[in-house]
Amino acid sequence: MINQSWFKVITIVLIVYVFTAGMLRPLNPGILEIDQQSAVAGSVWTANVHTYNTHLSTAESKAWLKLEDNSFIPAKSFIAETDEKAILTFNIPSTLTGSKKVEGATLIISNDQDGSFIRPSSVVIRSDSAQSTNTQNWSTSEISGLKQAHVKGFPFRLILEETIRNIFYHVPLWFGMVMLYLFAVFFAIRFLFKQKEEDILKSYSLNSVGFLFGILGLLTGSVWAKNTWGTYWTGDIKLNMTAIAMLIYAAYFILWRSFKDDIVRNRIGAVYSIFAMCTLIPLIFVIPRLYDSLHPGNGGNPALGGEDLDNTMRTVFYPAVIGFTLLGLWLSNLLYRIKKIDSHLNG
Amino acid sequence: MNKIKALLGKDLLVEFRNTFSISSVLLYVCASIYVIYASFINIQPQVWNVLFWIVFLFISVNALIRTFNQEQGSRTLYYYQLAAPVHVLIAKLVYNTIMLFVLGLLSYFFFAIVAGNPVRNFGLFILCIAMGSIGFASVFTFVAAIGAKTGNGQVLTAILGFPCVLPILLVNLKLSANALALIQDTAYTTDIVILVSIEVILVAVSIILFPYLWRE
Repeated sequence: MINQSWFKVITIVLIVYVFTAGMLRPLNPGILEIDQQSAVAGSVWTANVHTYNTHLSTAESKAWLKLEDNSFIPAKSFIAETDEKAILTFNIPSTLTGSKKVEGATLIISNDQDGSFIRPSSVVIRSDSAQSTNTQNWSTSEISGLKQAHVKGFPFRLILEETIRNIFYHVPLWFGMVMLYLFAVFFAIRFLFKQKEEDILKSYSLNSVGFLFGILGLLTGSVWAKNTWGTYWTGDIKLNMTAIAMLIYAAYFILWRSFKDDIVRNRIGAVYSIFAMCTLIPLIFVIPRLYDSLHPGNGGNPALGGEDLDNTMRTVFYPAVIGFTLLGLWLSNLLYRIKKIDSHLNG
Repeated sequence: MNKIKALLGKDLLVEFRNTFSISSVLLYVCASIYVIYASFINIQPQVWNVLFWIVFLFISVNALIRTFNQEQGSRTLYYYQLAAPVHVLIAKLVYNTIMLFVLGLLSYFFFAIVAGNPVRNFGLFILCIAMGSIGFASVFTFVAAIGAKTGNGQVLTAILGFPCVLPILLVNLKLSANALALIQDTAYTTDIVILVSIEVILVAVSIILFPYLWRE
């Protein structure tokens, strides 16, 4: 199957699509920075707002501040300095709704070109020292004039920002690695039953490419961690378990090279490959779930889903998973053919 | 069952006929613990916990690395005719587990003498040693069997064994931190369940795969 041209075409199309769509599709507009994050009720709040991927100076924009109970106030003035910078002024009402003393308000900005984008808890409003100098009140009706964006991009997340694209490369590499290791175990088991040298060479090639994917997964993860968590390596449980998994498979390659006799090597390589997979299962699937982790899906962080993997991202993510797995199979097939020629030449 | 008993008796007999191996392991226990004491002098419970498990890990490697030394060469053929591979493995597993458990208790005893005894939950700590013995024994016995098939078994056993044993070591470290009252985790039964399931998987896989290693 792997030698057929349609297989290669599908793989190439998927990989090219993943790299072009994943890299070129823009991010949704978002609010990067607000220089003034606290306000006193009853006063005028002015802030420099730094947005991302927006056209504030060409499109006429509006802004609102919204409380948790959906009551809101419109901006008093909206001065766009550049496409991505604006000075916003709000007349904050002298009381908060309800009986709260402190509340975080959400900033909403909307225009024709970018649609609407928000930043939760952009400003904390305190109402302890009430200065009733203005008569503005929170409106309780629906906000009117919210625009829809023409082009829907990938979601804008604070801290993640552009690195959100890494989910198309980092995560599918791990999926691909596990798939390749599973195929390798399948061929190792078949080798033990049927004793055909082809099977164990396939198993070895799949393990090699799986290991390569693991290294690439570590590298992409490391770069991602530097940009979001601040260091290349953290004591995160998933990182530790992965490091151990890499050591187990590194030992497999040393074992493979330590034999003089190919027949013994094949058999013991197959046995260790199965044993390694069995120790890998608790490492990757069980133990990380016991501990808190910085990764999504652990320690209260959202898993794949929700707003972190919305439908626009799924259209790239799933092809990426399939594409990288197929690419791995193709690579391991090439390696297998080299190994087969090798063993014919030497044996 | 009788076969396993006979093989177990044979292993014990071999061990006590030639006391070099067991006495060298005992000396290793004493020496390494004394080195640790001499270099640390005042050992905090946190460090005590980690050091104990590291020493126990190295003791296990040293004790089990020679597991299949006697079964090499022409003697393999002799065993091959006498016993089923599964029996050989189970006998080795039981023997190694008991040996490690005894060694674990001994090193705990020495640790308590030279470095103090910070253990609060005694039963849980003994359970940790028992679980650790089973886990280390199952990994290192199997890996030693692999190592025995290669030219340079001892180095390879250590390389192959350490990463495989790490999940067991990590869960054990957490459990024994509980026993030392370093962390207050009431849900440590899940850790025990996980440890048991990892060990069941390892033992089962060893039993399934060992016949393929054994035959020449």
